[in-house]
Amino acid sequence: MSTLTSGSTILRVGAASIRLRHRTIAAILGALAVLVAISLWSAATGSTALGLDRTWAALIDQGTKGDEFILWDLRLPRLSTGLAVGACMGLSGALFQNLTRNPLGSPDILGLTQGATSGALVAIILTDATLQLTAGFAAFGALATGLVIWALTRGGDPSGYRLVLVGIGVAAILAGVNGYLLTRTTIVDAFRAVYWLTGDLSGRSWEQATVVAIVLAAGAAVVMVLSRGLDALRLGEASATGLGVHVTRTRVIALIAASVLIAGAVAVAGPLAFVALAAPHIAARLTGSTRSFTLSAIIGALIVTGADMIAVAGLGDRQLPTGVVTGVVGGVYLIWLLIAQRKKGVMS
Amino acid sequence: MTAGPLVAGPLEVRDATIGYGRVAISEGLSVNIPEGEFTVILGPNACGKSTLLKALARMLKPSAGSVLLDGKDIHSQPTRAVARRLGLLPQSPIAPDGITVADLVARGRYPHQGILKQWSAEDERVVAEAMAATDISELASRGVDELSGGQRQRVWIAMVLAQQTPLLLLDEPTTFLDITHQIEVLDLCAKLHHEGRTLVAVLHDLNQAARYATHLIAMRAGEVVAEGAPADIVTAETVKQVFDLPCRIIDDPESGTPLVIPSARARDLV
Repeated sequence: MSTLTSGSTILRVGAASIRLRHRTIAAILGALAVLVAISLWSAATGSTALGLDRTWAALIDQGTKGDEFILWDLRLPRLSTGLAVGACMGLSGALFQNLTRNPLGSPDILGLTQGATSGALVAIILTDATLQLTAGFAAFGALATGLVIWALTRGGDPSGYRLVLVGIGVAAILAGVNGYLLTRTTIVDAFRAVYWLTGDLSGRSWEQATVVAIVLAAGAAVVMVLSRGLDALRLGEASATGLGVHVTRTRVIALIAASVLIAGAVAVAGPLAFVALAAPHIAARLTGSTRSFTLSAIIGALIVTGADMIAVAGLGDRQLPTGVVTGVVGGVYLIWLLIAQRKKGVMS
Repeated sequence: MTAGPLVAGPLEVRDATIGYGRVAISEGLSVNIPEGEFTVILGPNACGKSTLLKALARMLKPSAGSVLLDGKDIHSQPTRAVARRLGLLPQSPIAPDGITVADLVARGRYPHQGILKQWSAEDERVVAEAMAATDISELASRGVDELSGGQRQRVWIAMVLAQQTPLLLLDEPTTFLDITHQIEVLDLCAKLHHEGRTLVAVLHDLNQAARYATHLIAMRAGEVVAEGAPADIVTAETVKQVFDLPCRIIDDPESGTPLVIPSARARDLV
């Protein structure tokens, strides 16, 4: 193997060639292993501990009726929703960081999450706020915000800074709107709204898991097509243009995909704090100079299902909303990141 | 080193209005880039020379008129196909954090690769050649952020070489370098030109331009004031006209090219 591709294995079949970077592959396999362990643990534990053998029996349709109900109707839908929601958030966060070339460029900071919240609040105030209606309004809110940001950055090149500044402005406006909406509601609705704002996975059904999974599949397909261009964009817009990337087209499609992904995730699980922000950072730390959208999605799924596992275990016998855990863990992570970067002396 | 197909077809700007947003820097600009020459665009700050280069590199789309590559509007051609004929070294490219020299040079293969064509034997050969041509083979596994400015610029040039284009556009390739590394980069450009490539560079240093270029385009206020061989257009009158600088021209004792000696009026005033 030559020094040009050290740390990679090249697979060649005919004219096709695939470059496998050892570090990336190892990180993906490692993260997947942890993810499987967390999933098994989540399926087997909870208010009724099934244990691995009863879980397995129920999984292959040989358990008791009660066990199968717990596994198939309660735990697996919640787990699947968590996996898909986390992957959507991790992917969306990675796209936003690529677009903004900024470590804080995430849908939480750029207003997408606030947009989803506005939508959900409107649903809670104006309608009977079923889970489906709230989800629909939230998705609409996130997408509308994405479109507004796109429209506002459209004039010039949607360069990193412009996108971040416009996003922060939009986020500030929406935070105000959300505060106003909360003051216009009854105490019961306000409680429901605040609960939704925290983000939670409890009581999620197969139907919801399916919706997020479809969003995830569509987003992943788009990212697969765009990923080489997005990677070239990391050299700056000028170099990317020189290399033959459709810069504006690539960025617009990526922005739309990132908005749809976060809209789908937030609609179903609420704005689980910091997942979209933290996942790409952790992934980047594991892979070094290469970036892997796949790994970011897996890490996102890992954070959400891990946080949900902690939430279910809760404090004593009291379950927590999932968003409380992601918020606390994410906040600690963010502060650590800032301190670590100050030590390094750079904001990359 | 093999440079791939050495013909890109002529590159020209025809009656173009180029600028940023609604601000036009050049209006009705027409420029021909002669094939096989080392063209240097020069002029005072804000004269539109980098803007012209960006238009040639299809980074800016003219609001009127056109940029033609091989007789066809450059913006109507598939951008990846253009990228196989025309390479660009921008003024301040960004090296991703922690990327190695070999990985960065390999990025130049982008227009030749695809989802299922990630690293062909050809990619391997061309990247190795590009690194040898720029004398950075020993640095292959080093991090780009550990390198000196001069080394880094050679890495970026290697990346553009790996693109295997007969036409290279360089936007101020010497600006942030000390004099030794400026000459090193210009010598490298001269070598690439001798191997048969067409080069277009924006430079600030008039004397370096006169020494290395085979064709000069002098601009002022968005317009081309003079163009031609350095020996023909580097005259005291043109320099006065373009840079508003009184000077004498002598023969460069090293290369025989015109050497601009600014008049000593500033001294006289003290």
